[in-house]
Amino acid sequence: MEDISKITQFVINLFGLNLVFNVETIIMTWIVMAALIVFAFLASRNIGFLPNPFQVVGEFFVSAFYGLTKDALDEDMAKTYFPLICSLFMFLLLSNWLGILPKLSEPTKDLNTTLGLGIMGFFIAHHAGIKTKGLKKYAKEYCEPMFFMAPLNIIGELAKVVSISFRLYGNILGGAIIILVVSHLIYSLALPPFLMCFFSLFIGTIQAFVFTMLTLVYISVQVK
Amino acid sequence: MTLDVPVMIKLASYAGAGLCIGLGAIGAALGEGFTAGMANQGLSQKPEQSGDILKNMLVGQAIAESAGIFALVIAILLLFLGAPVTTMLKASALFSAGLCMGLGAIGSGIGSGYPGGHCCLGLARQPAISSRLTTNMLIGSAVCQTPAIFSMVVALMLMFMDFSQMPLWPTWAAFLGAGLSTGLAAIGSGAGGGLAAGASCEGISRNPDTVGQVTTTMLVGQAVSQTPSIFGLLVSFILMFKTFPESTALAASMALLGAGISMGFGGIGPGIGNGMTAEGAVRWISRNIEATGALTRTMLVGQAVSQSTAIYAMVVSLVLIFVV
Repeated sequence: MEDISKITQFVINLFGLNLVFNVETIIMTWIVMAALIVFAFLASRNIGFLPNPFQVVGEFFVSAFYGLTKDALDEDMAKTYFPLICSLFMFLLLSNWLGILPKLSEPTKDLNTTLGLGIMGFFIAHHAGIKTKGLKKYAKEYCEPMFFMAPLNIIGELAKVVSISFRLYGNILGGAIIILVVSHLIYSLALPPFLMCFFSLFIGTIQAFVFTMLTLVYISVQVK
Repeated sequence: MTLDVPVMIKLASYAGAGLCIGLGAIGAALGEGFTAGMANQGLSQKPEQSGDILKNMLVGQAIAESAGIFALVIAILLLFLGAPVTTMLKASALFSAGLCMGLGAIGSGIGSGYPGGHCCLGLARQPAISSRLTTNMLIGSAVCQTPAIFSMVVALMLMFMDFSQMPLWPTWAAFLGAGLSTGLAAIGSGAGGGLAAGASCEGISRNPDTVGQVTTTMLVGQAVSQTPSIFGLLVSFILMFKTFPESTALAASMALLGAGISMGFGGIGPGIGNGMTAEGAVRWISRNIEATGALTRTMLVGQAVSQSTAIYAMVVSLVLIFVV
């Protein structure tokens, strides 16, 4: 049970700064990235009227998420933000599914991954807001309904980052811990595959979609 | 009878197990009863659909039960695992684990009963779309379980992690606060998420073509309703993993306990309130599909406002942890 809180770390001391790398998370993230690049290569290599299986899957992702992005933003902005939304979903989906393979673990089980993606979404949404509305109108929205509410509005915006990243992290970590504890207690007999189906495949898919949709609606709230 | 460390640990794990399954049984039973009641209503409207409705009722109840099963697992672990006798701190951790899981199962149990019930009623209205309704119900009630999963994570961490280096005072209060924070905050979020999921099943049965937008809005609404329980989880993690300086003064312990209580109770109302907002948005999207964009944005703004009380509670608990 000790491995619940165990993290392999690799510390570099650079000019007095301690740079800490979570080795496992980085390797798993690279595996996901490599798999996505290979998938993109296979899907776009021979684009034809009779698609190969990879092209079918790729077209499914592109058409589904282009429709969702177009519903939330308008046509012009959808062209800008659609690649981000689609690749974010594919990255998170593969990350959440990675734990079903032996010896591999989900990079989203590490708070640093989800917090990084959450902060990225935060900056993209606010950049989009400033770009479409102008700095003055953007700043004025923080003083609604009264100017002294500004600190609380700012805390509310920062709380969005906390909630979006802890939601994904808590769900994936929770699934992993429950699978670990239950497998340990019943000596890995019979039950773990079903738990993996539920927590990794089902909850993982839903949470990847939720994270992506929340990033999208945060952008949409900022620009409208 | 002397109250030495092994006796106290036994006492704490038995009391924790009792509270865990006792509190955890409340929500699941209420949710399942709601599902069955709605199934009866559906049956009376369309008696020839009885097979489908009965099947859906049982599936919905099985999911609503899962929060209760989480509580049962923790209670059995507390009773039979025989935690290694370490320090008095373990007693506090075990009791808090039971309390956390018991409280956390209430909301998810009640919440996941709503989609099951509305799915049964929807089947009576639109028997042709039973597969779409069942899928939506499964997604909705699975997301309702998230607060219960958070409570289970905190409970398992409290039970299995090695805290032997930490000082007894004030860490025992921090553990109790951690259990209360996630456990109580999960009540509102679980029930609120269920309201949104129920409205989505009703909406799909009224207007089956809107299933894409309704499911998406339901997921976003449920996710935002869960935000208070995520704040609860955050406060619990800080309380569990921060090493507090040893101090036998009562004030230091009470500040940590108060931090947990503040976030826990502060999360109940916003969770349910956000769920009501999401319920309204989802219900009216199915009736007026053209207004999806405006309805979703209004829902998010409304939820952000009703969430502000949870943010006040979080600010107060962070002040209690870091400043006081």
